[in-house]
Amino acid sequence: MGNLLEHMGVERDRVHFSWISSAEATKFVDVVKDITAKVRAIGPNTKLVKDYS
Amino acid sequence: MKFITIDKKDWAKGIEKSRETYRLFGPVKEKNGFLIKSLDNDTLPDMEYTDSVMSAKSVMFPQSEKMLNASLDESQEGHHIMNRVDSDYSPQAVLGIRPFDAKAVQLVKLNFDTKDYRDPYWCDAYEATTFIGLGINKPGFYDFSTTAGSGPFEEDGLDVLLADMDDKYLAKILTDKGQAYVDACGFKTGADEKESQILLDVLKKEAENNIASQINTDQLKDKAILDLHDAPFWDDVAFSCINCGTCTYVCPTCWCFDIQDETKRKSTTRFRNWDTCMSSLFTLHTTGHNPRDSKTQRVKQRFMHKLKYFVDKYDQGTMCVGCGRCVKSCPVNIDIREVCNTMNAYEKQE
Amino acid sequence: MNTCIDKIREIASRLLENKEVEKVIGFTNGTIPMATSPIVINSEQDVSKLVFNSSCGLNLANYIRNQKGKIAVIAKGCDSRNIITHIVENQAQRDQIHIIGVPCNGMINKKKIQALFDDDIIEFIEDGDTLKVKSSTKEETLNKTDYLRDNCSLCLHKNPIIYDDLAGDLVDEQTLDNAYPDVDKIEALDSNEKWQHFQELTQSCIRCYACKNACPICYCPTCFVDETSPQWVGKGQEKTDVDTFHFLRAFHCAGRCTDCGACVEACPMDINVRDFTRKLNKDSFEMFGWEAGLDITKRPPLDAYSPDDPNDFIK
Repeated sequence: MGNLLEHMGVERDRVHFSWISSAEATKFVDVVKDITAKVRAIGPNTKLVKDYS
Repeated sequence: MKFITIDKKDWAKGIEKSRETYRLFGPVKEKNGFLIKSLDNDTLPDMEYTDSVMSAKSVMFPQSEKMLNASLDESQEGHHIMNRVDSDYSPQAVLGIRPFDAKAVQLVKLNFDTKDYRDPYWCDAYEATTFIGLGINKPGFYDFSTTAGSGPFEEDGLDVLLADMDDKYLAKILTDKGQAYVDACGFKTGADEKESQILLDVLKKEAENNIASQINTDQLKDKAILDLHDAPFWDDVAFSCINCGTCTYVCPTCWCFDIQDETKRKSTTRFRNWDTCMSSLFTLHTTGHNPRDSKTQRVKQRFMHKLKYFVDKYDQGTMCVGCGRCVKSCPVNIDIREVCNTMNAYEKQE
Repeated sequence: MNTCIDKIREIASRLLENKEVEKVIGFTNGTIPMATSPIVINSEQDVSKLVFNSSCGLNLANYIRNQKGKIAVIAKGCDSRNIITHIVENQAQRDQIHIIGVPCNGMINKKKIQALFDDDIIEFIEDGDTLKVKSSTKEETLNKTDYLRDNCSLCLHKNPIIYDDLAGDLVDEQTLDNAYPDVDKIEALDSNEKWQHFQELTQSCIRCYACKNACPICYCPTCFVDETSPQWVGKGQEKTDVDTFHFLRAFHCAGRCTDCGACVEACPMDINVRDFTRKLNKDSFEMFGWEAGLDITKRPPLDAYSPDDPNDFIK
């Protein structure tokens, strides 16, 4: 799915996959921090955003 | 009837002048063919166009149209009360519309503007529209309008009929609305009425003689509805159908729609979208019952509506105007002409 | 090309006469140039209605589900792969389908041929590898190989993979250095250019769903676009809804699409929806070594788990 979105022009770094068990709380925090930083670095998303106006 | 001539060299200038008071629509070349679209900025209508893939119905009946909106914010006054959205119903003109498409608009009007109901969205758009028609000198291969209640130079539904005469257009002004548009363009070169009508008749006859395709509709009214409904040929007709919406969406007289609300956070909008009787959801009731859950029933319904129910209800001929778009675009080549002839000739076997 | 039609009719006739099958699903001549229409016949007297030529661009595997009794179906290479997928996915039983395999040299690109003319084509004659096309203003004589559909020119499986009867001699398969040049071309663009490409691609989509309905592997009784609780995709023409339909449909076909081209053939607006599915086909091949419908014993990659599945993209 990440590949197809990237193929359409959505930056690859907006889509992340991770196996995290509910017992791995520390890993969860680390992954979320990592994803947040990566997506923030790309900036606001303008593609595939529905216009409700 | 007043006739004028418009030198093609003056056409673009006149159209641009009319933009002061009219929004314009017309045929535009796209990748896959021509579409009738809003002519933004300086786009001119392509008056050399052959047939458009989609009809002009989206001028009055857009594929997706906002109808009402409401705020769901309980702190706001008037919350949860739906109001009609502001739409632009200022004068607009469709340039180069084909006579069969204009006739189709009149047929759709029978449904949207009745003594009991008046669809405000369609009617307001219709009343704002001036139809500047373009006669078809060379009818396309799929055009069977002469046997479907229209024709390449028919005037029904038009405000002005243009005839392409190489270096100029001969224009027959049919209504006051048409005159108003012509005035807005500044076209005023008069032409002799008698001679012009003769010229027009010659073009019309030539064009009609070039129509290669016909349908037979003379017996449709006399057939018993249930005989046609229970006829055995529907399974064969329907087999290849894939129940997409192509025929209904390209058709100028198909008028079915679906109403949906879309809500985000604190505001909601009610939309009207084109719907298709080909879809299995079309007649799905909230109970779960679906009176047309088989493909054959849906295919049959479309042809019965166009060629029988409408004929009986309005007594104005078939609901088909012979534009041929469904024949050209159907992915599996289901041909309404064949179905019509089959229905017209059908005799119930005892 | 030998259109195999005589053999097809012979086989169909035999099957119906001996009551080996109740129906034969094939193509018949259309009412307009370059058109054929799927047809079902149930008597040997009707076999002359069957045709097979380069205008038979749709996929008849679309019609084999929910049939009662045993049926025969004409299957080109790509169609036979979809039949295998149907059997693997329990949409049809192997012993219920009698496959009349037809080795195929490709279908014509009808829109490309029409584009050569300013007015409608009024006559189309196929004579071996030569196409004679006429409109009211001009005539063209064309080489079929120059006017093959995009998916046919890249086809690696022209011969049916399984069949009960073969209607012609097997044809040579081609080998390609690069089976996905169209996908590579898009991959070479940057993010914004890719987005532009796909925005323009779906610009004229009218949500008729001809692509989805012509596709043999789109058979969900309720498609995701029709779900209302919750509604995944809006039904209007808002661009994101249109894009989401195409993107998500392609994803549901990931690893199952055989690139038969029926979707593009059916589209009234000439949209190359294969740009979505081809990328996934390439990924399936590169990541899982998988091509749909080649092996009746295997399940598609998104259906099955193996410890070797690539997972370097998962943290």
